[in-house]
Amino acid sequence: MRLHHYKLFMLAFLISGMMCAQQQISGTVQGEGGLPLPGVNIIIQGKSTGTQTDFDGQYTINAKIGEVLVYSYLGFVTQQITVSGQNEINVVLKEDVGVLEEVVVVGFGTQSRRKITANIASIAANQINEIPTPSVQSALTGKAAGVQVTQINGKVEGGIKVRVRGISTISSSQEPLYVIDGIPITNNDESINDSPINPLIALNPNDIESIDILKDASSAAIYGARGTNGVIIITTKQGKRGKTKVSINSSYGISEATNTRDWLNANQYVELMTESALNNGFSQAFIDGQFDFYANGLDWRNGEIDTDWQELALVDGSIQDFGVSISGGGEKTRFFISTSYNNTDGIIRGNQLERYSFRSNLDHDISNKFKVGTNTTVSKSVIDRIANDNQFATPLQAIAQSPLSPAYLADGVTPNTESTEYYNFLMQEFNGSFKTNVWRVLANTYLQYQIIPELNFRTEVGYDFLSQVAEQFSGSLTESASVGGFGTANAVQTEKYNLNNYFTYNQVFNDIFDVEGTIGMSYEDSVRRLQFAQGQGFPSDDLQTLDSAAEITAGGSNRTRFNFLSYFGRATLSIADKYLFKASIRYDGSSRFGEDNRFGWFPAASVGWIVSEEEFLKNSEVLSLFKIRGSWGVTGNAGIGNFASLSLFQGSPYNQRAGLAPTQLGNPSLKWERTTQVDVGLDYGFFNGRISGEIDYYVKDTEDLLLDEPVPGTSGFITITRNIGELRNKGFEFVLNTKNIVTQNLTWSTSINLSTNDNEVTSLPGGDIIAGRNLVRKGESISSFYVVEFAGADPANGDALFVRNTVNADGTIDRSTTNNFNEAERIIAGSPFPDFTAGMTNTVSYKGIDFSFTFQGEWGASIYNNGGRFQSGNARFFDNQTVDQLDRWQQPGDITNVPQARLFSTNGQQASTRYLQESDFIRLRNLTLGYTIPRDITRKFQMDRVRIYFAGFNLLTFTDYDGYDPESTADFNADTDAQAGEAFYSAPPAKTYTLGINIDF
Amino acid sequence: MKTLKYILRLLYLLLSIFIVGCEDNLELEPEQSLLPEVATSNPANVQNILTGIYDEAGQTVSYGGRINLASELLANSGDLSWNGTFEQPAQLIEKQLVPDNTFVRDYWLNAYEVSNQANIVLDNLSVFEEDADRNRVEGEAKFLRGLAYFDLARLFGQPYAAGGGNTQLGVPIVLKAVLNPSEVTFPQRETVEEVYAQVISDLGQAYNLLPDSNNEFADKYAAQALLARVYLQQGNYEAARDAADDVLQNSGHSLTSTYAGAFNNEGNSDEDIFAWQITSQDGINDMNTFWATRAFGGRSNSADVSINASFMTIFDDPDDVRGQFFYNGGTVSTKWQSQFANIPFLRIAEMHLIRAESNFRLTTTIGMVPLAEINALRARSNADPLAALTLQDIIDERKRELAFEGFALHDIKRLQGTVGALNYDDNFLVMPIPQRERDANPDGLPQNPGY
Repeated sequence: MRLHHYKLFMLAFLISGMMCAQQQISGTVQGEGGLPLPGVNIIIQGKSTGTQTDFDGQYTINAKIGEVLVYSYLGFVTQQITVSGQNEINVVLKEDVGVLEEVVVVGFGTQSRRKITANIASIAANQINEIPTPSVQSALTGKAAGVQVTQINGKVEGGIKVRVRGISTISSSQEPLYVIDGIPITNNDESINDSPINPLIALNPNDIESIDILKDASSAAIYGARGTNGVIIITTKQGKRGKTKVSINSSYGISEATNTRDWLNANQYVELMTESALNNGFSQAFIDGQFDFYANGLDWRNGEIDTDWQELALVDGSIQDFGVSISGGGEKTRFFISTSYNNTDGIIRGNQLERYSFRSNLDHDISNKFKVGTNTTVSKSVIDRIANDNQFATPLQAIAQSPLSPAYLADGVTPNTESTEYYNFLMQEFNGSFKTNVWRVLANTYLQYQIIPELNFRTEVGYDFLSQVAEQFSGSLTESASVGGFGTANAVQTEKYNLNNYFTYNQVFNDIFDVEGTIGMSYEDSVRRLQFAQGQGFPSDDLQTLDSAAEITAGGSNRTRFNFLSYFGRATLSIADKYLFKASIRYDGSSRFGEDNRFGWFPAASVGWIVSEEEFLKNSEVLSLFKIRGSWGVTGNAGIGNFASLSLFQGSPYNQRAGLAPTQLGNPSLKWERTTQVDVGLDYGFFNGRISGEIDYYVKDTEDLLLDEPVPGTSGFITITRNIGELRNKGFEFVLNTKNIVTQNLTWSTSINLSTNDNEVTSLPGGDIIAGRNLVRKGESISSFYVVEFAGADPANGDALFVRNTVNADGTIDRSTTNNFNEAERIIAGSPFPDFTAGMTNTVSYKGIDFSFTFQGEWGASIYNNGGRFQSGNARFFDNQTVDQLDRWQQPGDITNVPQARLFSTNGQQASTRYLQESDFIRLRNLTLGYTIPRDITRKFQMDRVRIYFAGFNLLTFTDYDGYDPESTADFNADTDAQAGEAFYSAPPAKTYTLGINIDF
Repeated sequence: MKTLKYILRLLYLLLSIFIVGCEDNLELEPEQSLLPEVATSNPANVQNILTGIYDEAGQTVSYGGRINLASELLANSGDLSWNGTFEQPAQLIEKQLVPDNTFVRDYWLNAYEVSNQANIVLDNLSVFEEDADRNRVEGEAKFLRGLAYFDLARLFGQPYAAGGGNTQLGVPIVLKAVLNPSEVTFPQRETVEEVYAQVISDLGQAYNLLPDSNNEFADKYAAQALLARVYLQQGNYEAARDAADDVLQNSGHSLTSTYAGAFNNEGNSDEDIFAWQITSQDGINDMNTFWATRAFGGRSNSADVSINASFMTIFDDPDDVRGQFFYNGGTVSTKWQSQFANIPFLRIAEMHLIRAESNFRLTTTIGMVPLAEINALRARSNADPLAALTLQDIIDERKRELAFEGFALHDIKRLQGTVGALNYDDNFLVMPIPQRERDANPDGLPQNPGY
């Protein structure tokens, strides 16, 4: 009996059009707005017969009187109609405004959102498509509660930080685990110049069907030792049975920096620098001589020269995106293939990205029991790169140049390096090149076998290949002039193999007990290889590869490897669709951990109660969903070096003779960081889902923090990696989705997410860790800013003043000021991480017009501008200054925050709160306005859909922050240590406007 | 159902085989690094660790340039200008060091890395079977360790007062190798006297153990020459004189025929008793970085450190080639012009100056009469001979000869001079104990006065 049942079930999906000689029924299926719905499944209840609507929503089916036709379509309420002799049945399907039957990808399987007891944010393709940014992660900004996405700075290939529910580590990786189509992928930055390259830049965002973010431990624990930072599961588009669909998307746009700053013009510069020089005992002749030098023969006294260096560094960019996808399928085989091209010209001079990508996803049913499939993507990205923020050669450091220095020599073409204060970055483009090619292959194949209807076995083999070649050449006029040109070639190949084998079991007992189980194993092995060479002395600036170098000055290669072996299991039970239970366990082992602690257990459990299914609420007109859930689980963070547990010696040659030097103090008991997270939440829905949402509270306790604990340098070492320290993140997350207007012609929906995060270091046995301007201290938020408090200029003499903040004998704080920086104590003066973030997305459609936009904001973070001492340092150096420095102290009695200008003499440029500022902001992150040309017109041209749209990114920013951008920070600081929130000539991101068109055949 | 069972069994078998294989795979060893057991297991590897110490000491943060830079900038009272953007040297020239100055931190850390690596070598001498090898390796390790502590004492302690009994705090002395976390200690600062005693002990033993010559590595005369410098710093002129005399008489090194010949060399010159080796492939000449113009590999167009006209008044003879050893309009010293040249560290010229000064002070003439010795040095640079000699003449000669080579601060301290308004023993002419070090070892390291 059971077998018979299952056969019917399968056949219903696989076989359509089995004829039974009855009357023919035809009709149209529409949505509430009157739009025809293509691809609606229509089956005869209890039979294997079925069909689908075509692209005009029309169908034909043969049925007997008395049989029941079932119309089902994803996202709509299923309707049943009993055949009573009519020849035409037109159906209007109601949109399923609840999100109950939505399917969520949970790692090694899927679950219906209704039964989820964990906190998982899901983002559908239509929420991220068309956002004009080349990187997937940027498109997620503001879309999910508790997920902070920050583009480090304005470089097109630049790194992007994704932080799920705060920072749960100090020394290890803060990045979530990315899983694409079931395979955890390599997410290493392989940049050669300390300015990170986003490893996901190779992905074409238009290939993505959905993104599910596992935030709480009960969901992430299935990824065990790598779940602490959250798991981002990306599912790519699959073909669907039915007519072959061709989609073309093409867009083009322009971009500019979100912000520029005001710098001194030539006259102001002369005024301030002259004053600064005279104040410090330099002669008028000296300073005039300096100006003469800068002006390089031009007459600076009469305004012949006034170079705007910022305008040379931040330029107009453009973005072009073109993609074609073809999808469809027959009875046994479904396919999705796509190709795309993206060309993003950055807003920083010389920075460009070109990406070509190809994807083919195939699914095939060998038989009723066997299913196989493959997802493959190949992409190539070519990046024109620029130096990291800490290099003179990086464009934005040009703002330090004097406005008196001409940008070009008299010929107007050759960049002026004769009379600039610093190296002129324009020379880099003129006489050098820096290209990086990235090739990425992601391929996986699965085989699924249905052992019995309730028990499936699936095996997945994944392969991830990242190959990156960076070639840099600096010609005979650049900074490398002294060696006759300098070239580098650097190649990295990272391969990762992944094998997953697991069984899934699903059975309903007595119509009440719905049991699901998963059990399996996974093995991953990653090998990274690197080869590089550099040389100098090139015969011609046109010969830029190392074959032409007179001397090869360095070369090398290395290999490194890590692996994971894991076993996992998960069981869920739902009783009467009301009481939900889930438990999972993972047993993870990795080569990265010390031999004393190679394996670990990661358990999780959660429960839920759908209160609204209880009799007393079931028929409520108001409340449509009320679910309470709670979860607990343990995850790990294995983002440490591959061999961090070992004491090591490395090659350290001297004068071309082999040498060895100790490089690392080992720790054989080293293990993953362990995070225990508790989450309680509720899901709610009112008025049949018109209002819905989630409220969550989480407490995330991380212990065994992998800390690079400072050891006394007298040991010959600086740090040792230990599992010490604990920290806690806790916070609320609110999600509110409303369907404000649902009428035939007009729909308007709003989605709001708010999250708080409170981070506290709860134990730090080694005492404070100070990294630059950041402090890790027990009882404080991680990486708090720790600097001396600036108190403006002494009205009497223009000296910079600092608040002492020393502790008096009676325990009070001495708030008096001093002009001696060494007498002032550092204080905790802010945090680099926001404690409140919010996003709001509105979607409106009116007839053929669609309009959506997302506002996003962050509050509570500060940025320390480490370039401030040069940029806004009351003319201590010849660097050009921000215009606010004109407010400098000039005579006794002046009340100002800008101390007296003293050339070459320190007066307030030390690290203090002078250069620290809150960076709260609200941003119009993206906006799309589209118009779909009416179908009756487009059908005449054999097109199913034609839509034109305008899309914008980072269109508006509201902030009091004075620096370039409240999100831009220095790219050369490692991503994974305590140092955070510092800007240093960091370029703002792009503000982009694009026009595009979608055509579906 | 039979097929099902068969398939399940097959899968189970495949899984088991695979999983068993995987467990072993978790034992991975690095391919670029050696474990300590291996690194200290045989003579070749211990020799490599020894070579690695030279590499460590020759890093830019210390003898690759910044130790010299610190001495010159801290001692400057107008002859030099700092034009660069680096804040750390700016603090040096302004005598406004803060305890988290990263240059200061790195001098400290580098010296102790050198010390520990030397200790690792010294703890593993037993792998050597040949006495000659073992002695040489021990001698080199002690030379490098002694060198590290000498500069630690000079930079982080108040000046050594001649005559001994210096109880002012110096730096911790660590003589046991650290190779695993349990060996990390939290040592106390020892007195300057004790640190000097350790330096002299190490260098004295190095002298006894090392061969007469040892290619570009330290030989016995390198140890002796460094001892001469240490004794001079202590005001122990007899010992300084005798050590310098030994080097001059027996090392086989002599003045290069021209002054220019002593600098910008790819290999060692006749005059180099010991020099830090730089090649285009290995090592960075950080003196070039800061003291040369961009055209020659320096950081900025007109050099981060430029020499002001006031310095030129030291030259008493316009024909003195040392007074012309400048470029870029006389504002940049030619000593550091070549980007990939060695950095001379112990030159024969210094030995002449030490012997002459010591003889003069002691009114002896060991090896050579002071006046003749100074005039011989002057003759090389085409400067007129002096008719008579005063102590000041010798000090001035030192400055003419050894300018910008890192002697300035230490000469002011031993001669009890001044830097502008600051007395030679001013707190701000001593570096602060690095903040990170006091954070890591709060009980062992009281801060220097004034910080």
